[in-house]
Amino acid sequence: MSAPERTPPPIAGGAHVAEPTYADVNRDVLNTLRPPGNLYFAWMCVVGLILTCGILAWTYQIFMGMGAAGKRTPQMWAMYITTFVFWIGIGHAGTLISAVLYLFRARWRTSIYRAAEAMTIFAVLTAGLFPMIHAGRMWFAYFLLPYPNQRYLWPNFKSPLVWDVFAISTYLSISTVFFIVGLVPDIAAVRDVSTGWRRRLFTMLSLGWEGSDRQWRHYRRAYGLLAALATPLVLSVHSVVSWDFAMALVPGWHSTLFAPFFVDGAIFSGFAMVLVLALPMRHFFHLHAYIRDRHLDAMAKLILTTGLVLTYFYICELFTSWYSGDHIEKASLFWRLTGSYSWALATMYFCNCISPLILFWKNARTNPVILYVVSVLVLIGMWFERFNIIVPSLGHDFYPYTWGVYIPTITDTTIIVGSFAWFFILFLGFIKVMPSLSIVEVKETLAAPIKDTRHAGHH
Amino acid sequence: MNRRDFFKIVATTGATAAAAGCQQATEQILPLVVPNEQLVPGVAAWFATVCRECPAGCGVLARNREGRVVKLEGNPDHPVSQGALCGRGQAAVQGLYHPDRFPGPQRREGDALKPVSWDDALKTFAEKLGGVKGKGKTLAVVSQLENGSLGALLDRWTQALGGRPRVTLEPFGYEAIRAANRATFGRDAIPYYAIHDAEVVLSFGADFLETWLSNVHYARGFARMHTFRDGKAGTFIHVEPRQSLTASNADEWVRNAPGTEAAVALAVLKLMLEGGQAADRRFGDAVASVDPRKVAEESGVPLETLQNVAKTFAAAKPGLAIGGGVAVSGSHATATQIAINLLNAAAGNVGKTVRFGPDSAYGKVTPYAEVARLVQAMAAGEIEVLVLGSGVNPAFTLPGGLKVADAIRKVPFVVSFAGLPDETTALAHLVLPDTHWLESWGDYSPMEGVNGLLQPTMKPVRDARQMGDVLLAVGRTALGTEAGKGPLPWESFQQYLKAAWEPVVKDKWSEALSQGGTWREGAAAPAVAVSPRVERVDAAAAKLDGGEGLALIAYPSIRWYDGRTASRSWLQETPDTMTQTVWDAWAEINTETASKLGIRQGDVVKLTSPHGAIDLPAYLSPTIHPGAVAVPIGHHYAPYHLRLKYVPAGSASANPMALLPAAADAVSGGPAFLSVKVSVARTGARRPLAVLQATHDQDERELARHVDLATARKEALGGKKLHEAHLSMYSEHEYKGYRWGMAVDVDACIGCQACVVACHAENNVPIVGRAEAAYGRQVSWLRIERWAEGLAAQPHNMFLPMFCQHCEVAPCEPVCPVFAAYHTEEGLNGQVYNRCVGTRYCGNNCPYHVRRFNWWNYEFPSPLEIQLNPDVTVRQLGIMEKCTMCIQRIVAGKDHAHRDEKRAVRDGDIQTACQQTCPTKAITFGNLKDEASAVSKLANAPRAYHVLDEIGTRPSVTYLKKVVRGGHEPEPRTGKGQA
Repeated sequence: MSAPERTPPPIAGGAHVAEPTYADVNRDVLNTLRPPGNLYFAWMCVVGLILTCGILAWTYQIFMGMGAAGKRTPQMWAMYITTFVFWIGIGHAGTLISAVLYLFRARWRTSIYRAAEAMTIFAVLTAGLFPMIHAGRMWFAYFLLPYPNQRYLWPNFKSPLVWDVFAISTYLSISTVFFIVGLVPDIAAVRDVSTGWRRRLFTMLSLGWEGSDRQWRHYRRAYGLLAALATPLVLSVHSVVSWDFAMALVPGWHSTLFAPFFVDGAIFSGFAMVLVLALPMRHFFHLHAYIRDRHLDAMAKLILTTGLVLTYFYICELFTSWYSGDHIEKASLFWRLTGSYSWALATMYFCNCISPLILFWKNARTNPVILYVVSVLVLIGMWFERFNIIVPSLGHDFYPYTWGVYIPTITDTTIIVGSFAWFFILFLGFIKVMPSLSIVEVKETLAAPIKDTRHAGHH
Repeated sequence: MNRRDFFKIVATTGATAAAAGCQQATEQILPLVVPNEQLVPGVAAWFATVCRECPAGCGVLARNREGRVVKLEGNPDHPVSQGALCGRGQAAVQGLYHPDRFPGPQRREGDALKPVSWDDALKTFAEKLGGVKGKGKTLAVVSQLENGSLGALLDRWTQALGGRPRVTLEPFGYEAIRAANRATFGRDAIPYYAIHDAEVVLSFGADFLETWLSNVHYARGFARMHTFRDGKAGTFIHVEPRQSLTASNADEWVRNAPGTEAAVALAVLKLMLEGGQAADRRFGDAVASVDPRKVAEESGVPLETLQNVAKTFAAAKPGLAIGGGVAVSGSHATATQIAINLLNAAAGNVGKTVRFGPDSAYGKVTPYAEVARLVQAMAAGEIEVLVLGSGVNPAFTLPGGLKVADAIRKVPFVVSFAGLPDETTALAHLVLPDTHWLESWGDYSPMEGVNGLLQPTMKPVRDARQMGDVLLAVGRTALGTEAGKGPLPWESFQQYLKAAWEPVVKDKWSEALSQGGTWREGAAAPAVAVSPRVERVDAAAAKLDGGEGLALIAYPSIRWYDGRTASRSWLQETPDTMTQTVWDAWAEINTETASKLGIRQGDVVKLTSPHGAIDLPAYLSPTIHPGAVAVPIGHHYAPYHLRLKYVPAGSASANPMALLPAAADAVSGGPAFLSVKVSVARTGARRPLAVLQATHDQDERELARHVDLATARKEALGGKKLHEAHLSMYSEHEYKGYRWGMAVDVDACIGCQACVVACHAENNVPIVGRAEAAYGRQVSWLRIERWAEGLAAQPHNMFLPMFCQHCEVAPCEPVCPVFAAYHTEEGLNGQVYNRCVGTRYCGNNCPYHVRRFNWWNYEFPSPLEIQLNPDVTVRQLGIMEKCTMCIQRIVAGKDHAHRDEKRAVRDGDIQTACQQTCPTKAITFGNLKDEASAVSKLANAPRAYHVLDEIGTRPSVTYLKKVVRGGHEPEPRTGKGQA
């Protein structure tokens, strides 16, 4: 994304696979923060335009009413909740990579975890818009917050939607703290080389970091504690989101399978999104030395594994519906398989169950193009998974009088597409403001320098 | 901003607002008829009057709040309606507050009607009248059926001005019944049919649950006769080529070939006589030439069916045979009615269930043949002034073959008293809008012995004047006389009415007014014995012109009658029960016929007869006779339906009257509705119908259930109770005072949709329009579902009124994050609109899908907003709503009992709007905690069940299974996907 003339000379040795030195790390990471080029601005314009359309569409919907979105009886939930769950799912991989893999000392996480964490926060920020977009009277969405008020109102703690409020806000705050704490040493490094407003910003964010031994000891302990705190959230958030459905009566929703099923799916899609973001970063910023083939290989293996587990859950879902012997449950399943939305189900099965199988092949796991295509397919598949849970199940539930088909409108489609633009605009901004690779942790994985000729300070 | 600036701004804006206010016309907050010092804001006043939406003449009570009528209810004391009202009656307030009502008199200037002052309008009218005075029969007056004072005044007025005898125009005039009664009983009358006293009703096409004669009254009677009660239930057999709403309420629906009713009736009579079952055996000669075997072949009714019908009918003590409807209005109509008379006579029903004496007002309708003669006179240029009363729309409701519009164009001066623009006012030179009947004085006698009295229930909404007043004033001017003198001495129509009633009511005028009229106790006068004259009856089938094609069955619909009620958006958005279609008319074609013609559902087809052609979307039905195509009469849109985009721009009416011939049926002089064959061809366009019900197949979910008569009887007499095991980890709800609940008898529900319209009226339910309704966004809190079982071509239909079930373990309640949905202490599922954020989780989780969301801010186009019930919140966009069991009525009922009378609420104190209007009393409301209450008894009855009880929602609404009569039980399901 940086303009060609600013591209640094290739690392000594010519090959992108050469082990970088500490100095290379500093230089390469700080390079990503150089003033952007035309390509970057072009991307920003495109994304910004789409976001503007999304905002206009939302404004229209607030003004006109929810009728602008294609919802109806019985599909009172449709694409907004689909996309909400999708983004929450995306938000999963970040914490998994940064916290769980940190606790398990999986060293390959270092080069991607910063981007993954940022992705998490942005994904949760995107997801967090949807309950607002979705509510019929979004201007009263604060009714869901428990605080003493003159209205004598208190939220209903029996409602999974209130659980959502807590699960998501907890997740967002812990992830943000974890992200900021992880950034401190790196920001200090960036602070030392930046000027102007950036320097003031980074001075503030680096919290007076000097890299002293005492600071490092405290930092390590705090980071480990936060990782331990964040780990259960990986399981809890998506379990809670899954209960929005599992706690309801709707055939196709009312299942004990949902919590693990959703968590697995979330990790699956989260890794796909990490790849979708990391592969272009690696390409445009020439980070091949840091995001190496073995990193891609490890992530591909995780996608393959979670994909296979997901396939197992799909089979379970089909089996339990059939084995339940419940007529309504079976009818709902049969309609999802054969009815108006069978194409969506077929898309989902292809994307989530078939397409990752190519990753059994070792060369595919390190081929960026194949990985990119598989990741995009997985994202599509996971969006359709949520769509298939929500829309067809509601369209063919208990009461035959209301059975029917939901048709999206321009308004809700624009808002959905706009939410992707919102996510990408945040991410594009991030990679130019913050070090998107962890300088500290990358250095930890390198061989210690024998003689540091270029005097790159170890922060 | 400092304090001074603030005051400056406030003062300036205040003054501007005040100045702006000065320019507006004064608006009355309380538009009272007479300023009333007794008026208490917040307390309703009730005015008794008579519904004039059709000639049935039901007594109604108008609920007036702060000077404005907001709701109509049947007058419980009135012998016709007995407290009930049909959907058309309920929707009358939408006629009163119709956005398209003429704001005042209009005069034609070029192509358009332009407003004119009353003085000018009356002057013009009087001049024209003066011009024709004494010119002999060049003045013609056409009114709807007015048999009271207005009719008398009209006759007197016409006579004074030397006009032709007044024509009473009712498109459905039942001339064939009168002709047959002349022939068999020597009486030119339509008797009273005591359906409630019959054990077996045998109907030949008489749609008495929809429009025939007096649909509310006969539905009440039908419920008494037919609904299962204490182990007893009557039998209803219906002969008709299509499965109408009435047909689908029959225990046995016999599908005959169109036009073969006379033959079928005679064959039944013959089989009765042969079987020795007839009480009276004089009729052998009449049916001598009838061969039941041949009839069976021609009509397509199996011989065994004919035999069974004959046996069942003959065994009834008493039975009742009736005939009518459109299928019985062709060249065979009189023969069919004579055959029916003979059936009744042979079975000994005359005097028992067929009662001459309390004759119907329909007997006074001008026969169609005379109407046709007037139209011919107009076409010949013999008429110079044509006066059209309100309620008549000849350009729309008369057969297309008559070319009424062309004839009216030949009349130099046409005055219309219509309140709403229609096809006829489009041809009028002067429109003098009559007051709505809710704003008018008047009287109407629906049958001998019942005299209903109309009074203004509020001040006119628009600058309208009562027709009687206008006629008196204009007549005097034309005649050059003054008030108090000459043939038209009365100051006003009110004075005339009072004078006419004076001999009857004496000093009891206000009693009569508050009662809604006078009637004899019990309504039915002593039966007059009439003995039939027996002649040979012609069993020939109806003659149909048009050669090849399908027999056209143009039938009056329960929602639109002849078209006069189609301008009400409530009736447009209330679905036709059989097809569940809203906002559209359609051509019902048999599925097999359609597949031969390559027609799919929703294809626009052109129906062409020798007299005209119309385009309509096709509705495929497996039930209609393959040789017939059926189209409801009277479908058209009001201008505001198009203006507010309830229907797509350019939507046009499609009235099958356009396809019918001018010629009257030669024997009876009635219009021949069944008289043409039409060719049906695809136009290539598509217009998918807005059908609300996704499928009529319940997919083995037992939403609507049935039980056979024998079992029902055994259980009812054995006292079996509903038993449902409720396993729960949670403690039971405790109800301190009341626990409200409802019971719906599926056996009683006839699917007339009156409750749906009543719910719209009571609960401020908005209208969403065609596209939105088709997309599952209709807001109606109550829907009547039709569930079909058995053979596709001969389904057994059950009607299931579905609304919020007020579950004890309600799936909607725990999922609401803000307690907008909550359980009240009295067992209702409350919905707090102000709290609702609109997450719609409750709507998803409701297994019945009875929760309705406000997808948009719905409009109540002015002045329809005046109709809104002040006791019910008008909902904002973005919130969920649903049936509240009329919580406002519960609150009012409790208030009245607890505070005014210091007692607990008694059973029957509170009625929900749907229950109140139900003609068959299928709905019961009450306190479930009180074991003696009617609703508790029904909830514990052997037929009781809960819809989807296996989910464990424990609804407060209990349904009672439909009772299917022995031998006619639905067969096992044969397949999915019934139309």
